[in-house]
Amino acid sequence: MTLAPPLGGRRDGRTDGPRRGPGSGARAVLRSPLVRYLAVRLLLVLPTVLLLLTAVFFLMRATGDPVTTAFADRLTPAQLQQKLHAAGYDRPLFTQYLDYLRQVATGDFGRTATDNRAVTEVLRTYGAATLELACWALLVAVAVGVPLGALAARYRDRAPDAVLRLAAVLGYATPVFFVGLLLKLVFAVGLGWLPVAGRASIGTELRLQDLSDPTGLYLLDALRSGDGAAVADVLRHSVLPALALGLLLAGVLLRLVRTHLIATLDAEYVEAARSRGVGGLRLLSRHAARPALVPVVTVLGLQVAGLLGGAVLTETTFEWKGLGYQLAHYLTARDFAAVQGIVALFAVVVAVVNFLVDALAALIDPRVRY
Amino acid sequence: MLNPPAGNGSSAIPAPASGPAPARRRLAALALSAAVLVTAAACTSAKSGGGSSGDAAARALTIGTTDQVVSLDPAGSWDAGSGTIADEVYAALVSAPNGTSDVAPNLAESVKLTAPNQYTAVLKPGLKFANGHDLTSSDVKFSFERQLRIADKNGPSSLLYDLDSVAAPDPLTVVFTLKSPNDSLFPQVLSTGAGSVLDEEVFPADKILDDDAVVKARPWNGPYGITSYAKNSLVAFEANSAYRGQLGTPKTAQVRLKYYTDPNNLKLDVQQGAIDAVYRTLPIADLQDLSGKPGVSVHTGSGNGIRYLVFDFKSQPYGSATAEADPAKALAVRQAVAHSVDRAQLASQVYKGTFEPLYTSVPDGITGATPSYRKLYGDKNGGPSKDAAAAVLAAAGVQTPVTLHLQYNTDHYGSSSADEYALLKTQLEGTGLFKVDLQSTEWAQYGKDRVADLYPLYQLGWYADYLDADNYIGTFFVPDSWVHSGYADPAVAALIKQEQTETDPAARTKQIEQVQDAAAAQVPLLPLLQGSTAIVTRSDVRGVPDKLNSAYRFRWAEISKG
Repeated sequence: MTLAPPLGGRRDGRTDGPRRGPGSGARAVLRSPLVRYLAVRLLLVLPTVLLLLTAVFFLMRATGDPVTTAFADRLTPAQLQQKLHAAGYDRPLFTQYLDYLRQVATGDFGRTATDNRAVTEVLRTYGAATLELACWALLVAVAVGVPLGALAARYRDRAPDAVLRLAAVLGYATPVFFVGLLLKLVFAVGLGWLPVAGRASIGTELRLQDLSDPTGLYLLDALRSGDGAAVADVLRHSVLPALALGLLLAGVLLRLVRTHLIATLDAEYVEAARSRGVGGLRLLSRHAARPALVPVVTVLGLQVAGLLGGAVLTETTFEWKGLGYQLAHYLTARDFAAVQGIVALFAVVVAVVNFLVDALAALIDPRVRY
Repeated sequence: MLNPPAGNGSSAIPAPASGPAPARRRLAALALSAAVLVTAAACTSAKSGGGSSGDAAARALTIGTTDQVVSLDPAGSWDAGSGTIADEVYAALVSAPNGTSDVAPNLAESVKLTAPNQYTAVLKPGLKFANGHDLTSSDVKFSFERQLRIADKNGPSSLLYDLDSVAAPDPLTVVFTLKSPNDSLFPQVLSTGAGSVLDEEVFPADKILDDDAVVKARPWNGPYGITSYAKNSLVAFEANSAYRGQLGTPKTAQVRLKYYTDPNNLKLDVQQGAIDAVYRTLPIADLQDLSGKPGVSVHTGSGNGIRYLVFDFKSQPYGSATAEADPAKALAVRQAVAHSVDRAQLASQVYKGTFEPLYTSVPDGITGATPSYRKLYGDKNGGPSKDAAAAVLAAAGVQTPVTLHLQYNTDHYGSSSADEYALLKTQLEGTGLFKVDLQSTEWAQYGKDRVADLYPLYQLGWYADYLDADNYIGTFFVPDSWVHSGYADPAVAALIKQEQTETDPAARTKQIEQVQDAAAAQVPLLPLLQGSTAIVTRSDVRGVPDKLNSAYRFRWAEISKG
């Protein structure tokens, strides 16, 4: 009988260690520190989301209910109680909590109390808008933060560096809604170059609404519609919100890129390249940039949570009908199901992105998993 | 040596720069294209709307609002945002013509009291829904029974408290049997959202229908139907050719309703002409600012919302649940507060004239309103009187200053409430008779605390369900009313019962006035301000009167553009 080459062994039949039997390769993979590390990180996503859901569940109920919020100045206490009973809000809190977890486990997030919609529909409809805004903001952040960070590193401790560092501090220290208002006042009200608010003008929105199976990503839908004016309209509406949210992250990126590039520029291998006559932009882009960008990419992933937080304010400032905008509305109305659903989605997104970042970091730097 | 992969003509060991360079070039080209695209987009005219064009679209009326829709199903909503749409896409048997509070036939040819406990409505013949279904008495019966059966937590079913049963003896006749005889309010109730006539072939009998399903089924019988629906974002309407109600053919064929969260964006959009009108709600400062802008008209007038103070009879100074309980002293404190407030100053300083002083619980302009508090308190001419306040307290033996714990709210009644109540505190303390402990609480908690008698004196507001004086007295002054002040006067309760069943309009008006006078003498609540209605339009929008009265309704069918 010929033994099959062990899993994980080389094609030439040579192995790194002692010969193992069938299946031992799979076990070896499972025993791999990297896999164990990733598995643990993945498993931690679940309790993280559960903890957040639990906290939101109880905190929301500690601050009132949607029925009282809506009818406290219209109904007698008895009528109010009837409505609370009809909505099930008078049941023991723990019973409500268990029911909620049971619902969520089956993928049912319930219906919103304030506008009678399936929460999953809310997530789908408005999630696309938030995703689109986040993509635009990331684009702005990378397009602005990375080159300017490199520029600051290139002119370290000189005038351009000082100016850019100051700009970076201003970028991440200024509240996003304030930046939004400023941009609006200058470019929409003052100069009239760009629209005040919204994701598209009314004509375009109606056209996109009428598309069959719209994705909710307006740029994509506008491209599908084949209407150049609609594409331009969507882009025009995206500029200011993308800048407002993106500049926040751009400031962070600028500082990070600058710091890490300076550190790499001082490294011995870069010094060696410099001694070989490599200099200027070539030295920066070929030798220093790549290693410096590894921690930047990691931090970029971690900034997703900040991006979602910023989206709440940006969306409200610019009438960008996304999840952040809806979250603000539902929070005011104490709409339990809606808030829980949106926060759950945010939690999953942040946890998954963090997991991916951890995985990426572990793959790049073996020291991470030990 | 490793062989090159099949199909790859490159050398086995690529030159250092040959791999990444094309990728970078592609990336650079992509970035450049994106930049050009964004720049080109930004450079296109700010007015280019993209999308639909043509004369009809150009003449379409675009209205902006900060309201939100709860549900398109009239059994599942009882709020301003849903009501705005429901008023346009559904019709009731009766409706009040614009500018009046008296109802007139709408889908019905007539609605008459045919027996002490019975109203009979006769429908116009040949009525249809926009989807082609016949609208018959069976639909009417179904609609009312459905409201009562579902009794949704967000719905208006409680308005049908007096309805016992509905019968449809023939396709055009509906008979409503009521619990009380001679209920003069029932026609008003028929004109509310609780009286919207629905298509029984579309709406399920025992549950709320999803908005998307409603839109798809086109069960419209109002002046407009919905053609495109993105909830609380953008809704498009088109005139409903099947409509046979009192408004006739709409003057504008297409209407769009755009929803805003930030009033600042709403203001900027109407200022820049991105929308044609604003209906609910811009802050006072924005209205004032827009008043001076070219191309924009601000229409204001009395609204039917009121703001008032409530005394909790249990926890107010000398209230029944306090250690020093004394009804006479408690009354004196209430009357002294009524003598001390300067409503005109509140209206002018805080609300810049967009609110008006209110001297009764019934807003000015509604039949039966009489300024009872002006006749009894202050300088008897609407102003405050420190001397009168001091006299009433002294006569009752109340030691001054009296400490008043005054509560207000900003997240439900607006941020201006903070200024309003700060000024009220100044007015009361300015008399030297009161020491005011002013506090604000978030609405969700406020609603619970006030009915738990935790607030001795607190702010409330009220928008009418229907424009009848009874909605401003019956809801406040009957025992166990939702106000929960603890006020109960059998004589006033009897008068309210009388006016609710009085069929002679003159006698009823007299009774309503008597209720207001009697209640004012006891001051269970202190009316302060009557809200205003403000509608902002672009200058080319026609059909909105310059001066609005409290019975004005913003009905799109009466508005035109251009």
